[in-house]
Amino acid sequence: MDYGYINARIRGMHSRLFDRKAYDALIIRQDIPSIITELEKTPYKKEIEEANILYSGITAIEYALRKNLVNTYRKILGLVQGELAEKYIVIFLNKWDVQNIKTILRGKKIHASQDEIKECLIPAGELDEATLNELLKQPDVRAVVDLLATWEQPYALPLTDYIDEYSENRDLVILEYALDKYYYQKALEAAKGKSTEEKIVRRLIRREIDANNIKSVIRIINDNVDWDDAKNLFLEGGLRIDEEKFEKMVESGNLENALKHLDGTPYYFLSYLPAEALAAGRISVFEKELDSYIISNNTGTFRLDPLSIGVIIGYIWAKYSEIINIRIIARCKHAGVSDEDLEAELIHV
Amino acid sequence: MADVATAAAAIQMAGWEKPIGAAIAFAAGAIGTAWAQSRIGSAGAGTIAEKPETSSSIIILEAIPETLVILGFVVASMIIIMI
Repeated sequence: MDYGYINARIRGMHSRLFDRKAYDALIIRQDIPSIITELEKTPYKKEIEEANILYSGITAIEYALRKNLVNTYRKILGLVQGELAEKYIVIFLNKWDVQNIKTILRGKKIHASQDEIKECLIPAGELDEATLNELLKQPDVRAVVDLLATWEQPYALPLTDYIDEYSENRDLVILEYALDKYYYQKALEAAKGKSTEEKIVRRLIRREIDANNIKSVIRIINDNVDWDDAKNLFLEGGLRIDEEKFEKMVESGNLENALKHLDGTPYYFLSYLPAEALAAGRISVFEKELDSYIISNNTGTFRLDPLSIGVIIGYIWAKYSEIINIRIIARCKHAGVSDEDLEAELIHV
Repeated sequence: MADVATAAAAIQMAGWEKPIGAAIAFAAGAIGTAWAQSRIGSAGAGTIAEKPETSSSIIILEAIPETLVILGFVVASMIIIMI
């Protein structure tokens, strides 16, 4: 396949991503209206103008960012349509489908309104806005799963397998874990070959599985879940965390000992986090560090062979990171967080 | 007598070897140029689609491989004229 054309376009798009100067221009703004004005001077202009008609304040920014991410990912999907790379790019975009289904299930479980759930959806995957709107109209979790099954959506398979178990326990983790397991199995299956593309994609997916397993361990220890229940949360196919290591970590008893098992792996940095975060078991600190590690590694694929799929994948993650950072800036300004604390929250700038 | 025969043989050989040599020199340059321009062309089209302001640089880059075919032409001419 000719990566020359596609990668040149992606590189053009990459050159429009925010650099340090652009972030600084946003950070020095004191309130939401001035951030919106600043964003109007950037590639977000079109979406911000559209958002300003429909919403105001932070909601307008959130809407514009979501819309921009969806438009960008749809554009990438259009570029690779019919090419070999489409199969692998779809793997990364399908993550949003899983994320959206989880969001709808969570929303339905806590009886959130359709509008509230809709605000959290990002239709950047294969499930488009119309499909997600139909799912939103369903009254409860079971109805959502049934509708997916009626449409013969592949995600209905893991959900229907576990819906009875969920009905007994009312624990959404069962369905979320089933979705994750299905997604990663499918992703690894699609990238099991020996081509360069498949090697790159497989490595990233396996690293993500590791990150998910580590997050599970942290939550399991924090919630004092025993091994019999915890072993069901292990995702197979990771790069450095196999079931044996997962079990050892879970059975370590406390977070500090569990993280010591990560020495010698690329995730060793977690055991060197501030002691107070460890003592307080602040899960978000660990999750943020892990997410930051995954993002910085995945964006690094942009610098691999210029005529490979790495450029496209690297851009997808770089764009995601930009959106997260703008959201952090907007949210922090909205909440009156100091610039110093805000800087600490930004990832991979 | 022998000198005349050798000269005649040389003239006879030059009859087909020179054009074949010149053709190879020119064709190799042309194929190289075509391959390079196709790669630069597709990447250039992608770049111009995203950043139209780079058009002039892309046109210059697209023309650079032409030097290969010109070199091939010069070598081919030298084969025919000088040998």
